[in-house]
Amino acid sequence: MDFDWTDQETAFRDRLRALLADTLPDDWERFSQHGPASPALTRYAESFCGTLAEQGLLIPHWPVELGGQGLDPWHQTILAEEMWIAGEPRGGQYMNVNWIGPTLIRYGSPDQQARYLPPIAEGKALWCQGFSEPGSGSDLASLRTRAERDGDQYRVTGQKIWTSYAGLADTCFLVCRTSDDRKRGISILLVPMDTPGITVRQIPSLIGEGDIHEVFFDDVIVPVTARLGDEGQAWEIIGYSLTNERLGIPRYALARAALDRAVSILKAQDEFDGEAVKIEAAHCAALTEAARMASYAIVDRRAKGEAIGAESSSARFATVMAERRVCEFIVEYLPEALADAHPYLKMHHQRGIVAGIAAGAAEIQLNIIATDVLKLPREPR
Amino acid sequence: MDLSLTDDQVAILDAIDTLTRPYAGASLHEAGFALPDAQLDRDLAEGGFLDIGFDPDLGAVSAALVVERLARLPQTVEAAASALIRPLLGGDLPRPLCLVEEGRTTRPIRFLREGATVLLVGPSGVSTFTATAAQVRPEPEALYGYPMATLLTVPAERTLHAIPASEVLIRWRIALAAEAAGLLAAALDITVAHVTDRQQFGRPLATFQALRHRLAQAQVRANGVRWLALKAAATLDPGDAALAALHAQESARATVYDFHQFFGAMGVTLEHPLHLWTYRLKALVGDLRGRGGQGLAAAEALWG
Repeated sequence: MDFDWTDQETAFRDRLRALLADTLPDDWERFSQHGPASPALTRYAESFCGTLAEQGLLIPHWPVELGGQGLDPWHQTILAEEMWIAGEPRGGQYMNVNWIGPTLIRYGSPDQQARYLPPIAEGKALWCQGFSEPGSGSDLASLRTRAERDGDQYRVTGQKIWTSYAGLADTCFLVCRTSDDRKRGISILLVPMDTPGITVRQIPSLIGEGDIHEVFFDDVIVPVTARLGDEGQAWEIIGYSLTNERLGIPRYALARAALDRAVSILKAQDEFDGEAVKIEAAHCAALTEAARMASYAIVDRRAKGEAIGAESSSARFATVMAERRVCEFIVEYLPEALADAHPYLKMHHQRGIVAGIAAGAAEIQLNIIATDVLKLPREPR
Repeated sequence: MDLSLTDDQVAILDAIDTLTRPYAGASLHEAGFALPDAQLDRDLAEGGFLDIGFDPDLGAVSAALVVERLARLPQTVEAAASALIRPLLGGDLPRPLCLVEEGRTTRPIRFLREGATVLLVGPSGVSTFTATAAQVRPEPEALYGYPMATLLTVPAERTLHAIPASEVLIRWRIALAAEAAGLLAAALDITVAHVTDRQQFGRPLATFQALRHRLAQAQVRANGVRWLALKAAATLDPGDAALAALHAQESARATVYDFHQFFGAMGVTLEHPLHLWTYRLKALVGDLRGRGGQGLAAAEALWG
């Protein structure tokens, strides 16, 4: 067992930090309070991702033949940590490079790859994921948005909700129903968001401007060539996407950074002096570090080409525990942070509160742990 | 970073499993609160398993792995202090090694008996002595999963060790976390087996979400404690050690009650062995002033 970073990994992290320090504007911490999906941050992300692309830091974990450098999952983790700690200046584009791109690389047709991969690699694309529906959240396979085949076209009708980035996205990774078979009746369409019949409505949210939307599909005509993979292959493809994204955002890293910032502010104000505040801060740190190590155990498996396994749900839940406790610590001991005194902590709070909801509810993670890690018999359905 | 076991570590753990296999068949139904086993202790000591931390090539991570694995046994063996702290003191001190914090010497002490080495650690330094019969009052009625005794007097004549108390405390916290990791894993395993077998309302208890989610959270905690213990053993950093011990004590507090709850009345009998793990966890929760003590130590190490 070896818990040290290699020299190459440390140099990679240092390079990212130097680039962030050189590139981000002086008022970045205040600016980054705009949600990652806000118009302001989306516009900024285009220039920032362009800079990353020029430096070879946008898709370093992609294969060399597709413009990447074939760096391993440890580098991908370091990249994700440093960006998320910085307030995610890539905006919604982190999703492109983490899983949409790799999924297109695996399942996309040559035409789809030629059309969609270069803009992602140049930092000019913004995708949204059309997964959740009003009646289908955690139970994704119950989705009802319909794609009726009509010759060389699909006619799409239905509604998606909670869709991040939809307001400004250029393309939707749309999961829809092509037959009544619960899981094998689901297909994926890559749909340009300016296709006639698509209506987007923003839903004001607690987590920042531009983050949550409803998307309506009214007789949207999509060519069959826009289908990713085969008809009915969506469940398999989503499963593959999740192996690239199952750990999700490295939220433990920002939670720890926010905790450290909060402690340094409290110390400067002579308020880190009682036993209660110190002990509570330590509990927060124990949870962020437990989540970090549980996540690293999964990254280690990925780096060795092993199956990730259901333990990734354990790492996800550990991260939710950490996020929650750090959010609560800051509310309790630095209440002014939520009133704008400390933009970095406010930014963390807005992003942290969705840890147990976004990309798979915490309770679903617990179900997976119960069934697939502990091997408990399933609940009756 | 490479989080796989080395070939040596795999071989050591396999050897422990082979050595301890005959003990797995021991009758657990007549055990009291604790199940010490002198023969197992001798076998482990003679096999060199408690000396692994002396080998610089194997080091504290391997020692922590041994401690974690042995804690999974229903039998209780003084492994944690011997494997992780004895390498600081030299190998010729008699076992068991009993850890005592200065100022807290009147508390019950694990494995304390005549002939044991008592290690006293605190602001005035690190010292040891061999306990005499007159200094020890056994506590056979103690509600803990270890043989416990109270130290009646601390002799003035002690061997002083020229090592900083902080180093002992770091390893004490790692030992505590590694042992708790094994205990949590074993208690979780036996509870999972029970709720899978036990039927009520025509279906296994394990199919009720009220239990499933709490057991899943126990898995998350046990996993976290194990990783924090191993990382702290690798770095020997005071902050890592304090966080590992804090997470261990907090996780014991958060899970032990549930484990017993899920066994119903069966879990409050001495016939069922669950307490052989959980009542060791209860003893570890109070070490080094409990969660508050670990929390303050972690805060000092992390933020000064």
